[in-house]
Amino acid sequence: MRESESRGTPPAAAGKARFKVGDRVRVKDLPNLFYSRTQMYVRGAVGTIAACTYQDLIPEDEAFNRDGRIEQYYIVRFRQKDLWPGYPFDNDTLQTESPERWLEPADD
Amino acid sequence: MSHAHTPGNGGAEHPAAPTVDEITDFEVLEIAVRELAIEHGLFTAEDHRRFTEWAESIGPAAGSRLVAKAWVDPAFKERVLKDAVKACKEIGIDWAEPTGFGTPSDYMNLRVLEDTPTLHHVIVCTLCSCYPRPLLGMSPEWYRTTNYRRRLVRWPRQVLAEFGLVLPPEVEIRVEDSNQKCRFMVLPVRPAGTENWTEEQLAEIVTRDCMIGVALPRPGRTADVHPMHRARRPVGSSRD
Repeated sequence: MRESESRGTPPAAAGKARFKVGDRVRVKDLPNLFYSRTQMYVRGAVGTIAACTYQDLIPEDEAFNRDGRIEQYYIVRFRQKDLWPGYPFDNDTLQTESPERWLEPADD
Repeated sequence: MSHAHTPGNGGAEHPAAPTVDEITDFEVLEIAVRELAIEHGLFTAEDHRRFTEWAESIGPAAGSRLVAKAWVDPAFKERVLKDAVKACKEIGIDWAEPTGFGTPSDYMNLRVLEDTPTLHHVIVCTLCSCYPRPLLGMSPEWYRTTNYRRRLVRWPRQVLAEFGLVLPPEVEIRVEDSNQKCRFMVLPVRPAGTENWTEEQLAEIVTRDCMIGVALPRPGRTADVHPMHRARRPVGSSRD
C-alpha cells in the first residue's frame, strides 16, 4: 500500500510497521484525551491485522492541526462474536482501522 | 451542542421545532473560516456556491462504471484491489481533483471490498459520514443517521433486512467501519443472467446501494426503475 497523500500531511516518518497481516492484536483501552477515533466497542477486543494501510498523523494530534506524531495504520478484523455478547452468527466479522498506538500484541 | 435558555431571550420559552437542531460548533467554525476567506479574497461567495453545487452533483455513476469494468476485465479488477485510487484514473476519476489535495474526498485512501458468494461487505462510518465521494457522490441521508451508524455494527443482519436484503447465515457479513482515513466501496458479485452484457449495461444495474452493500445488483433493476406503488387514494381524489 502506498503512503498517504492526505491533506496537509508531512512525509511519512514512522519507521517500520510493528505488526504484519495475520498478527493477533488487542485494542488498548486508553483514556480519551480531547479526541480519538478509536471506538469504544473495540476497546479490549482481540482481532487480526487484515491490512497495513498507510502511515499518517494520528487523529489525536491531527484534530488540533499539530505537527504531530506519524504512525502506521492497520485495518483490524474482529469476529462479531468477540465484540458483542451473544452475537448469534459465527461467520460474521467487522473491520475497522486503527493507528499503531492503540494496538498491542495478543497471545491467545 | 445544546444549551439551556439564556436570559438573552427575555426569559421566554422558545423551544425549537423538534427536527431542527441548533447549529453545531463545527458549522459555526466552517462559516467563520469561509467568511474570512471571502473577506480576504481567497475565493468569492460565488466560487463557494459553485463548488458546493458541483460537489453535490457528483453522483454514483463513476462507481458503477468501476464495478462494471472490474467485472469484465480481471486485470483491471486486480489493479483496483491493489491500488484503488490509482485505478480510478482509468475510469476518469482523479481523487486529487479539483483542488490537488483530495477534495471532495477528505483523504486519498480508497479500498474496494470484493464480495464473493460467501462473503458480503457493507460499509458504515460510526463516527460521522465518511464515504468515497469522488466515486459515489454525497452519501444518502440515512447513511449519516445515528440509527444506521450505531445499529449496523451491532445488528447488521437485521439492518440489512430492513433494506430488503436477507442473507443466509452461511454467508459471512463483514461490516467495514470507515472511522479513519481509508474510504471504502463494495465490489458486488456479478449476478447471473448478465452473461454477454456490455459494460454500459452492467453499470446500469450497479446502483449506489449495491456499492454501500445494502442491496445486491440484479438484472432489470436500475436506478431509473423505481418499483413505486401508486397511492390507492391519492390526495384530492373523491372518497365515494
